[in-house]
Amino acid sequence: MSTHRIECQVNGESHSVEVASRRLLSDFLRDDLHLTGTKRGCETGTCGACSVLLDGEVIKSCLMLAVQAHGRSITTIEGLAAGEQLHPLQKNFMQCGGLQCGYCTPGFIMASCDLLKNTPQPSCEEVRHGLSGNLCRCTGYTQIVESVLHAAQEMHHGN
Amino acid sequence: MREFDFAEPRSIEEASLLLAAHGDDARIIAGGSALMLAMRQRMLAPTCLISVAKLPRLHGIDFDPQKGLRIGAMSRHIDVARSELVKTHAPVLAQMASQVANPQVRNQGTIGGNLCYADPSTDPPGCLMALDASVVLGSTRGERVLSMEEFLVDYYTTAMELDEVLLEIRVPVQAPGTQGTYTRFLRTAAEHRPLVSVALVVQMEGQTCRQARLSVGASTPIPTRLRRAEDWLCGKAVNAELAAQVAGIVAEDIRPVSDLRGSSEFRREMVRTVTRRTVARLFGIDINEGVAA
Repeated sequence: MSTHRIECQVNGESHSVEVASRRLLSDFLRDDLHLTGTKRGCETGTCGACSVLLDGEVIKSCLMLAVQAHGRSITTIEGLAAGEQLHPLQKNFMQCGGLQCGYCTPGFIMASCDLLKNTPQPSCEEVRHGLSGNLCRCTGYTQIVESVLHAAQEMHHGN
Repeated sequence: MREFDFAEPRSIEEASLLLAAHGDDARIIAGGSALMLAMRQRMLAPTCLISVAKLPRLHGIDFDPQKGLRIGAMSRHIDVARSELVKTHAPVLAQMASQVANPQVRNQGTIGGNLCYADPSTDPPGCLMALDASVVLGSTRGERVLSMEEFLVDYYTTAMELDEVLLEIRVPVQAPGTQGTYTRFLRTAAEHRPLVSVALVVQMEGQTCRQARLSVGASTPIPTRLRRAEDWLCGKAVNAELAAQVAGIVAEDIRPVSDLRGSSEFRREMVRTVTRRTVARLFGIDINEGVAA
C-alpha cells in the first residue's frame, strides 16, 4: 500500500500531510484535519452529506480519494463564515427553518454555494435541480428551497 | 475499501506499461466517482489504481473544421456541458451532459471514465452513438480508433485491451441543418440514472427529415441504434402520425432488459413514449395532433 504527501489548501489554510492511498477525502477532512462539519452519510455517493467545494465546485468527498486533492483548494462548511459573521446561506437556513436534525445541512449549504455562484438568482425549479445530489429525510425540502431563495435575494441585494 | 497502491504516470506509454504489468489487479482512475462506489461496495478490489489525471493528452476540448470535436477523456461532464465549442458544434451533447446524474457527479465524473465503466444505465454512450462519435485508445502499441458500437461490447464491458487508455472522444462535423435532442426518462425524480433514454440527431429541411440517427440507451446492455426507424424517418415530412409510427418501430425492434428498476415490458412502453415525444419535440410538432394517445 502506498502513502503520498499531499499539499492542499483547506478553508484558506495550507496543509502538507502524508496520507494512505486509500484515504477518502471525507475521512481526511474529518479524521486527519478534525473538520467534522463535513458529514459521512451513506458513503455511497447518494446522500450528499459529505459535499465540499473543490476549487469552488461542489463534489462528494466520499467519492474522492485524498490523494486526488493534491494541489487543490477545498472549502468545507467551517470555511464559510467570516469570523462571527455567518454566510447568507447559513443565516437563511436558520431563519427559514431549512433544517430539522441538521445532519444533511452542511452538504446542502455547500451545494447551494456552487448553485448560487453559477445561478445567482435561481428559480424554485433551478434550486431543486441544483440540490438534486443531496438528500434530506426530515424537512420535505420546501424550507430548504426557501432558504436558498432568500439567501440568493440577500446576496444579490447585498443586505 | 481494501488497500491499494496509487500511481500517477506522466505519459501514455508509462500508463500502458503499468497496466500491462498489473493486469487484472489494476484499474484506471479518472474522476473516481463510479470507481469509488464500486470499490466501496467491494464489486471491485484492485490492488493498484492508475490515475490518468496527469496525462496532458486527455485534457481539453478542441474543434477542427475537418475533424470535428476532440474531447479529452478527462473532461468532466460539467466541462462538456459548459464548453462553447460543444454547445456550438454538438449542442445535443452539451444538453445531455448538463443532465447527467447530479451537480456533484458532473463536477467530478469524466466522460472518459463514464465510457470505460460501460454502465448500461447512463447517459453519454447513447448520445455519442447518435452523434456518430468514436473513441481513440492508446497504448505502447500505438493508437486505434473505434466507433461507439465497436467500443461498447456488453454490460460493463468494452473492447479495450488490458494495457489501453481511452485518450479522447471524437465527434465528427455535423452536416448543415443538423439538429439533435436527448430525452431521459427517470422512474422517479429522485433517481439519477435513466430507465430509458433516446438520442435523436437528424438533418432536416423544414419539416422533412433527410438523415437520422436514433439510439436508445439505458434499456439494453449497450445503447442500440434503431436503423429501421431511422430509415422510416428519412425523406418524409414529419408530423404527429409519423412520430407515432417511428415510436412503434423502435418499440418493436428494441430488446429491453428486465431489472430491478423496470421490467422489459415497462421499458418497451416507455421507449415508445419517449421516442414519440423526442421526435415530436425535435420537429416542433404537437404530440397529440390527430393521433389517439
